[in-house]
Amino acid sequence: MNHYVPDFEMDEDYLLSDSSNLRRHKKSTMGDEDIMELLWQNGQVVMQSQNQRSAGNRKSEMMPSTAGREIRSGAMEDETTPCNLFMQEDEMVSWLHYPSDDNNLDMYLHNNDIMYSGLPSSSSGVIPAPSSQPPPPPPVVSVPSPRPPIPPSKRVEEEPNLPKVANFLHFSKPGKGNGNLTGSAPAKSNKASQAVTQSTVVESNDRPVNEPPQSRASLVSGANIGCRGSMSSFYGAGTSSAGREPETYDLSASSSPGTGGSGASASVEPLPQKPPPATEDRKRKGVDTDDTECYSEDVEFEYHEAKKQKRGSASTKRTRAAEVHNLSERRRRDRINEKMKALQELIPRCNKTDKASMLDEAIEYLKSLQMQVQMMSMGYNMVPMMFPGVQRYMPTMAPMGMGMGMDHVGMSRPMVPYPQVLPGPAMPNPAAAAAHLGQRFPVPQFQMAGQVPVMRPTGSPAANPSDPMMTPFPVQNGSQPRVPFADPYQQQYYIGLPQTQMLQPQHKIVCGGWDGAKYAFYVASTTSFTRISCQSPYVQNQTGMPAVTSKPSSSKDVKDPEHHPTSKPPN
Amino acid sequence: MSSRRSRQSSSGASRITDDQIIQLISKLQHLLPGTRIQRSNKSSASKVLQETCTYVRSLHREVDDLSDRLSQLLSTIDADSPEASIIRSLIM
Repeated sequence: MNHYVPDFEMDEDYLLSDSSNLRRHKKSTMGDEDIMELLWQNGQVVMQSQNQRSAGNRKSEMMPSTAGREIRSGAMEDETTPCNLFMQEDEMVSWLHYPSDDNNLDMYLHNNDIMYSGLPSSSSGVIPAPSSQPPPPPPVVSVPSPRPPIPPSKRVEEEPNLPKVANFLHFSKPGKGNGNLTGSAPAKSNKASQAVTQSTVVESNDRPVNEPPQSRASLVSGANIGCRGSMSSFYGAGTSSAGREPETYDLSASSSPGTGGSGASASVEPLPQKPPPATEDRKRKGVDTDDTECYSEDVEFEYHEAKKQKRGSASTKRTRAAEVHNLSERRRRDRINEKMKALQELIPRCNKTDKASMLDEAIEYLKSLQMQVQMMSMGYNMVPMMFPGVQRYMPTMAPMGMGMGMDHVGMSRPMVPYPQVLPGPAMPNPAAAAAHLGQRFPVPQFQMAGQVPVMRPTGSPAANPSDPMMTPFPVQNGSQPRVPFADPYQQQYYIGLPQTQMLQPQHKIVCGGWDGAKYAFYVASTTSFTRISCQSPYVQNQTGMPAVTSKPSSSKDVKDPEHHPTSKPPN
Repeated sequence: MSSRRSRQSSSGASRITDDQIIQLISKLQHLLPGTRIQRSNKSSASKVLQETCTYVRSLHREVDDLSDRLSQLLSTIDADSPEASIIRSLIM
């Protein structure tokens, strides 16, 4: 199942290509920060680190004006990775358009800070950046701002470049954080960034709603909010699993562009729900829920405000209650929608958008999956017993089958597995499964020359339970499919019919049923097995053969192909 | 989302009623393994959906596991034997 959002991959490639030549060093991150800042300040995009360097000087001057990143100052010299610039350049382009947008800059800076702050070494080194930022932020450890330090910072330590970019992009929500920042920027941001990064604090970024205006942290958090799930999840993932950095980076990086592109949109994409690697499940889950909450909170917040405006002062109590109710209602709906989306992801080839049809598909898919599992497990248990067992059992079955066949005429008994043929474990399985599925199709008892009874596929359309099956020969010989082809019984008959002669001595339908993809009947003979099957749409791996196909293992014995009914797939 | 309101107002062909959805959810619930007895209690759609997702994932895992086992089994037997073809078909 492919939960991963393709966006990431695309973005990833995008970013990676840009930064192909990037060297990711912690130090460089710092340098990059500086460099990046320069770009912003000057309103020019200086892609080269060298340029940055020179710009760095300028930058230092500028620093004070901008959000002042302590890290920046320190790192300026380092600039080892022009790549950062490159990477960011593209993403930053959008920001470039708002050179005068302090907020953006601030956010950007914050991003940088956050990203770089992650580098413990770098951050500490950077802190000094005295020139630009007045307060040398403490080495990160403490996160003064209530906002949970951006986990990316942690990540930054490992892969400064990418996270940086990601952070940066996440800051595409100027609206949120900027307000806070504009004034304060330098001092607080440094601190916040410092705190954020370092280290340990990898809190989920899920508290976007309340951004403390005080510091960059808020900005960061704002940014986090924007990217919300993606960032936090990614970063969290990064921190949680060292080995995953590259992935997380990629993810974050990729997500950043996405978020960046969207601009400061308050909406949080459901990114967090999909991408995180498996190992980050716990984190992801936390994040997901958090994201969900945050998202809903955000939405609520806005909605709440809007509502208030509308109502004015009229019956505030009632409106508040109604609002509360609406909010909770919305939350509930959001939760359900998310789950629906998750379910939709699980269902292959589901392109339905409306709830009802999606639920329908989910139901069908679930049924087919159950069938598939049942068939596979049955087959797994049966195959070892196949040949040798069949021969042995055949004689015993025959008389039994006859008797049972009689009993079963026209009824709807629960499926009766081969009592003698199947090994112990196999029996309960299909039987249980059949019962579970609530299918009431009797096991057709084929007694064609002592054939083993065939299991009635549970998923098959309502078969004609009566006559066709039970009378072995006469029916088979004489019966033309009475029921539409989709009826597995039908097919069985077909198989049996023409093949009666052939099958007679040796061919027996060993088992049959719905194997999740097709109705399959295994016809066993002394020398070969033939599988006759017709496809159905739901199996994941199926190759899409619409017609009934038979795969004789040995051609000489089985002439099934000719006899195959041209049954259409049951579904 | 004011789904109800919007739905009511929209007179499009695809008018999905809540009842319809409730029925589907209950159908889904019946497919899920678990206590059959007190199923109705868990009528919350979100819970049912959550369980469905979990169940589908577990079924996926089971299919993968069975596929692995079948392919292992396949490797142990003669590739030309009829059993092999059966196994192959099961694995798909």
